[in-house]
Amino acid sequence: MNLHEYQAKEILESFGVPVPPFGVAGTTSEIQKIIRDLNLSEGVVKIQVHAGGRGKAGGVKFARTADEIFSVAEHLIGMKMINNQTGPQGVIAKKVLISKPVDIQKEYYLGAVIDREQARPILIASSEGGMEIEEIALKTPEKILKLPIELTGEIKHFRLVRLANFMGWQGKQAQEGMKIAQKIANAFIKNDASLLEINPLVLDKQGDLWALDAKLSVDENALFRQPFIASCYDPSQQSKSEVDAKEFDLAYVALNGNIGCMVNGAGLAMATMDLIYHYGGRPANFLDVGGGASKEKVAAGFKIILEDTQVKAVLVNIFGGIMNCATIAEGIIEAAKEFSIQVPLIVRLEGTNVEMGKRLLKESKLAILTAESLAEAAQKAVSVLKS
Amino acid sequence: MAILINKQTKIITQGISGKAGRFHTEQCLLYGSNFVGGVTPGKGGQEILGLPVFDTVYEAKKQTGCDATVIFVPPPFAADAILEAEDAQIPLIICITEGIPVLDMVEVNRIMKLSKKSRLIGPNCPGVITPDECKIGIMPGYIHKKGKVGIVSRSGTLTYEAVWQTTALGLGQSTCVGIGGDPLNGTNFIDVLRLFQDDPETEAILMIGEIGGTAEEEAAAWIQSECTKPVAAFVAGFTAPPGRRMGHAGAIISGGKGTAKDKMQALREAKVVVAESPAEMGTKMIEAIKKFDR
Repeated sequence: MNLHEYQAKEILESFGVPVPPFGVAGTTSEIQKIIRDLNLSEGVVKIQVHAGGRGKAGGVKFARTADEIFSVAEHLIGMKMINNQTGPQGVIAKKVLISKPVDIQKEYYLGAVIDREQARPILIASSEGGMEIEEIALKTPEKILKLPIELTGEIKHFRLVRLANFMGWQGKQAQEGMKIAQKIANAFIKNDASLLEINPLVLDKQGDLWALDAKLSVDENALFRQPFIASCYDPSQQSKSEVDAKEFDLAYVALNGNIGCMVNGAGLAMATMDLIYHYGGRPANFLDVGGGASKEKVAAGFKIILEDTQVKAVLVNIFGGIMNCATIAEGIIEAAKEFSIQVPLIVRLEGTNVEMGKRLLKESKLAILTAESLAEAAQKAVSVLKS
Repeated sequence: MAILINKQTKIITQGISGKAGRFHTEQCLLYGSNFVGGVTPGKGGQEILGLPVFDTVYEAKKQTGCDATVIFVPPPFAADAILEAEDAQIPLIICITEGIPVLDMVEVNRIMKLSKKSRLIGPNCPGVITPDECKIGIMPGYIHKKGKVGIVSRSGTLTYEAVWQTTALGLGQSTCVGIGGDPLNGTNFIDVLRLFQDDPETEAILMIGEIGGTAEEEAAAWIQSECTKPVAAFVAGFTAPPGRRMGHAGAIISGGKGTAKDKMQALREAKVVVAESPAEMGTKMIEAIKKFDR
């Protein structure tokens, strides 16, 4: 789950990481309050959205007077940003972050992530901040240092010394930098983060270090034990379908095509998408109803798919393991009763209780195209649109 | 022979009193699996499905001498259940649970790496089945048929497709192992491939991968140097957009790494016959067997 920059910064502050004073505004009166409270005569205004590339999109502005801060912030609230990270529908900035600017002397990168291959949390550091870390990793890997983080949140002292040397920090900076790295590692572990990135961490002209930007993503599997993080959820940054899917605990990803899919199991759902493309069609979504889904979940999934006006056919592919074919059939029938399905529906069922599932569908008298195999189901879904 | 489990394997269920634990233990018993008990703290002394229930895995092992455990415990407590089973030295631990926090699995992985007696399969996996002998997990038993293909997969239901196809084509399966869809798991492709390589009953291997991570690439390297049996593979998610998590916590293409294309390429270079479509996993297995000249 992604958090906004301002939420990440609030958390970092609570862990003792130095963050330039800031406020968050969603209304003009809030803008004025921030200018007053922070006594700003100049400031940086940044849109708060769950996507990168804000600077390039014109969502980050430097203002030279209090009046300019006000007009810039007012203008940026409600800005819609569309780039390759947001997809064609874009994201809207409900809030802006207004911050005291920092006189930057040098930029660094400091982040924490789970290293999948090593199966452990690591700190990633680079003395090249402000740029794409993945590009640096690709072109000049020697400019990146990776250090293990203990499960307690600690970084061993000898590793912090290595970090300071690597970054070229000395004296007071080294002391401060090592402390900050330790605090970032601690924040990463204590919040069950999957990514915590400070890019850039800047050294100002007075010799102090600041976290100028912060990106925090939290392991969704851990939200049950992170109530504060869970409360940071911002549905405005997702499409209605994604928000609805989350409410019913369905795994859903919106795509650009016109064949809606409902499948049980992520691997089979991906494979079903692949197969639709293989036969020349385009899936409208990825939707995994998961094992043990209730009749209500199935009906909810159906509803989400049908609400997408681009959907011109729906393919249901269920191979029941935990999933009971009779339950899926009941869910389809319930959804069909609630709103009359206008688009062709292709259903392929296999597995636990399949005979009952097939019988329920037949007895419902719904206009359903059935298929026996995976290939047949995908082919029918694609060809029914061509006719 | 087969691998990991057979008719003699004695199994317990952790979380037997829960809905999923009870339902699937019953299904496995109907298949003919040799379950000898269950564990739910606080319910020791009771009987469920005719099986004795214990408060702890340690107690269950002491009383039943079990060789394997299947875990149907909810995510907040599942890692603890795995560690309990390892502590009791259960040789085979199969964790079905989806949704275990990543940091919990970091700790579990560390302990399992050092474990002398136990192997973990999963989490977030459908389990393991040796057709006509033993089923430990949630897969529908009836689609399987005793035979010669060893199947190893990150997926659940996509594996059932592969089983369905190989059964229909008369190949059958020696053992099917679901390693699960999480980024951190107890047993990976190479571990299972090694077991298949050494199993006389397994004549050919079918691998089912998906986007995310580098497990398939590592497996390809192992196949190239160590494998002397025909291998076919399918990798799901060729058309998945990067940066989006496709259901499984482990299925995400980030930083350009973990694409289906790269995995398919690596497997082809290791002389694995790679299916372009999930509908031809079975036929590609036959092709791999025919073409075999490793």
